[in-house]
Amino acid sequence: MTDKKIPVKQPANQQACSGNPGSSQACHAPDDNISASRRGFVKNMGGLTATSLMGTAALLTNSDDAQANTEWAEWFQGNYRLMTDGEKAKAVARLERRYSSEYSKKVTVDSAPAKDGVLFGYALNIQKCIGCRRCVKACVKENNQSQSDKQETEWIRVLKMEKGEFTVDKMNDGYPGGYGVQVGGNAYSASGVVLEGEHYYEPKKVPEEDAFYMPIACMQCEKPPCVKVCPVRATYREPDGIVVIDYNWCIGCRMCIAACPYWARRFNWGKPALPKKDMNPKTHYLGNRPRMKGVTEKCTFCIQRVRKGRYPACVEVCPVGARKFGNLLDPESEVRRILAKKRVFRLKVEANTYPKFFYYID
Amino acid sequence: MKKITKFTTDYLVYVAKGSPKFYGWLAFLGAFVLFWAYGNYRQLTEGMIITGLTDQVSWGLYLANFVFLVGVAAGAVTIIFPAYVYKHKALHEVAVLGEMLAIAAVVMCLLFVVNHMGRPDRLWHMIPYLGIFNWPNSMLDWDVLVLTGYLILNIVGGFYFLYKKYNDEALNKKFYLPLIYIAIVWALSIHTVTAFLINTMPARPMWHTGMMPIRFIITAFAAGPSLIIIVFLTIRKNTKLWIQDEAIDMLSTIVVWCLGIALFLTMSEVVTELYHPTEHSAGLSYLMFGYHGLTKLVPWFWGSLVAMIAAFVMLLIPSVRKDYGKLQIAAVLAFLGIWVEKGMGLMIPGSIPSPIGEFTEYSPTLIEIFNSFGNWAIGFIVLTVLLKGAIGVLLGDIKYAND
Amino acid sequence: MKKIQRITILFTLLAMPPIVFAETPAAPVAAAPAKPTVCFESRKGSSEVTQREIGEDLPNVKCSPTTGAVLWWGDPYDDTVPMGDMPIEADYTKGEAVVKSRSKRMTLLPICGVACHNGTYPPWPKDKNPRKLTMHTDLVPDSLNLQHGRGAIWCLDCHNAKKRNKFIDNFGGEISFDQPQKLCGKCHGPVYRDWREGIHGKRIGEWARNGKKRWFVCTECHNPHDVQHGARNSGFKKLAPEPAPILPKGLKNANHERHKSEASH
Repeated sequence: MTDKKIPVKQPANQQACSGNPGSSQACHAPDDNISASRRGFVKNMGGLTATSLMGTAALLTNSDDAQANTEWAEWFQGNYRLMTDGEKAKAVARLERRYSSEYSKKVTVDSAPAKDGVLFGYALNIQKCIGCRRCVKACVKENNQSQSDKQETEWIRVLKMEKGEFTVDKMNDGYPGGYGVQVGGNAYSASGVVLEGEHYYEPKKVPEEDAFYMPIACMQCEKPPCVKVCPVRATYREPDGIVVIDYNWCIGCRMCIAACPYWARRFNWGKPALPKKDMNPKTHYLGNRPRMKGVTEKCTFCIQRVRKGRYPACVEVCPVGARKFGNLLDPESEVRRILAKKRVFRLKVEANTYPKFFYYID
Repeated sequence: MKKITKFTTDYLVYVAKGSPKFYGWLAFLGAFVLFWAYGNYRQLTEGMIITGLTDQVSWGLYLANFVFLVGVAAGAVTIIFPAYVYKHKALHEVAVLGEMLAIAAVVMCLLFVVNHMGRPDRLWHMIPYLGIFNWPNSMLDWDVLVLTGYLILNIVGGFYFLYKKYNDEALNKKFYLPLIYIAIVWALSIHTVTAFLINTMPARPMWHTGMMPIRFIITAFAAGPSLIIIVFLTIRKNTKLWIQDEAIDMLSTIVVWCLGIALFLTMSEVVTELYHPTEHSAGLSYLMFGYHGLTKLVPWFWGSLVAMIAAFVMLLIPSVRKDYGKLQIAAVLAFLGIWVEKGMGLMIPGSIPSPIGEFTEYSPTLIEIFNSFGNWAIGFIVLTVLLKGAIGVLLGDIKYAND
Repeated sequence: MKKIQRITILFTLLAMPPIVFAETPAAPVAAAPAKPTVCFESRKGSSEVTQREIGEDLPNVKCSPTTGAVLWWGDPYDDTVPMGDMPIEADYTKGEAVVKSRSKRMTLLPICGVACHNGTYPPWPKDKNPRKLTMHTDLVPDSLNLQHGRGAIWCLDCHNAKKRNKFIDNFGGEISFDQPQKLCGKCHGPVYRDWREGIHGKRIGEWARNGKKRWFVCTECHNPHDVQHGARNSGFKKLAPEPAPILPKGLKNANHERHKSEASH
């Protein structure tokens, strides 16, 4: 296993807690002083009463005392990027304690920073993809998305595109609307195969003869429109190129969802439904830790894995080896070799976002 | 200081006392607020999952109303501008009513924004120093800035005027006039920035057009004065304050011109997009004609177009324009037509298809409707109270009595 | 005799998974708790794993409840052996490149290297020419007209005639079943080069160039015995997809996006 336990800075009292996930009392820890100054400041602001009350109302829905206290402390914590190492460690310990008790297992919350000399890149062989959606489901297994019928969150979407054909009998077929392959018609009324993707295809077997497939997820843009529009800098780009979200800082305005040209972001409309047994206990603060309602989430290239050297879950699961991942700064890495050898394109270059997710064909 | 306390108490006492009709009106609005309270309780506890919003259409009724109401707030300038720049006498007399309308509209905007937020409890993250204000990058931050500024300008300007009137003192023109002129430009800025909020996103081709700010402003200057006309005619009917015909005529002239330009811009856009449809026109064509059986928005578009054209034609005819009964109908049509055009007709199809081509449909849930009506009701309560107080001062009913 | 039959079946299942044509029924994933969950890794008919806990609240694999495919590896190097010598920059003898061993499974029956399953010693084939097979016809039904290579090659161009648990190289030497790439690479040069560089094929483990990886070898994805059967996609057999996303609130069905096929009739 690559992901050996990283030395998470745990305060002493954390041990008692995680060893005893069932008991909430043991988790009562006096570690909330990190935001004491901030809280004091907030309390002194008369104008904030209404906001604070709203926060209280949201928090009171949790019956569990320890949990409410933890969430209360979380509520006051600052933007992750601006926290000192000490504050980060405390925030992480607090979360580990809460998650461990919530999911009845030992949950670790990693805070590994970006490594120097690493810029992550992704390449997907669009010629090979067979549309089996294993990447979609592997991502859910890894990243603790909501899985109920009411709220099913998937970060990867696979599109099925028709190939189109030129045949005599289709010469006079008029296809309504859309943009695609011309197979007949005339100059005034087009006829052809519509190239708009099918999102909900469900054949018995893939690949279908007349189709090709296009998986889409976060492109980890160099110039991410989502980051620019965020009013509170809850989402930002890490030095290794991963665009992350501080779930505790997000205010849920959904500007980023509207601004993303790749429809990569998802929203936690309600409290995410994450069954205990399915919960992946190896998490990262900026990655797959369980989210709360009302915040945005998206693909992070499996930050909890790749920061420790492991391939993203979707890369590993792809049965046709269409997904490749590595360090763009290493000329000998798999992705760089693909960029050098294969015919590569990026989705929506005209959006000027400089994705680090490349599509290629052999 | 004593004077200010006196003004406040006199003002509040005057506002609190009213006819049964006045209380009836407030009770009527209050009923909506009860539903609003229920809706907000549900939304705060369960999250936005009880709305009709989805990852595909993540901006809906709330933001549609927000955008429209920013327009209404900006539309108040159609009173202030002629009053102070063209020295329009009739409007000058009642200019303060425009400021009161602007305050109420901005209050509604804020209510809708809070409803739109997934985490309203974290709004403090936007407060500079306490949180992080991603300015000047984020257009939303610009919007917060201009809206807050506009609210302050109108509160200060409006109540300064009322306070001076209450004391029967002359206005300090060196203070007041710059305030007014800044407010005029500021009014334009709030709706321009709201347009920038959505049209600076290449991800949404339907919004991504330089026409958006002028379309926003022009529709605002049609919808705003339409509402003001209705309000003024109601005031004439129900209070002792007589708003002159010239004021109303001026406003209906503004509505007709702006409505005409708005229709022209709509026509330009339709022709540009649909002559040779590209990916850019998918949203508009879905809005106008639907997409393979998905047609929820089609009646809204055509309904709105019919309402706007009907209002425009009615207003073009002088005899109709001068008949204040019929004028009211035209104003209502224009107001509703533009509300639909900016809401169901712009915010929703901007998200359909999604940036990766997924077509879906959106309809608001009951909770969203409760909350939206509630926000409007609260806004109208604020407006009623503000107008009553302002009218009281203008009539001289609220006056400093040296006892 | 009965025992031999059982052994035959065992052998077929374990030692020669790539030539199992008939698909084994989907792994009973949500079955009674007593029954272990068995999932297939890359394609049905190739390697399978049994789900178990590996500590730290993690399973060795997570499987798809609908298709029985492995979706997630808790330990990517579970049950692997060093890939052995390979002409690539990393030293693959030191365990940086590991594979799921097939030859290890073949040692269950050491005799099969030279003898048939019933213990008889057939005469060595006289030459490599196609002839009617007396065995394995169920696995290679068109053995007289083998489509792989379109008649240009036959069984003994790949399989070692004298040691049946080995492949054969161009000089008549042996190639391990753990390294079929050395065999396939004899003809499929460009793909072989891509595979060595990490561009073609699949590996799991660490992303770094010199990181430890489990390499999936050719036969874990491709079945060389039916490469040109119809209804295929570049040598990769069709498989059942995972379910579609749940429709968004506003939709009752997805007919609107399937209009094309309807309209064309």
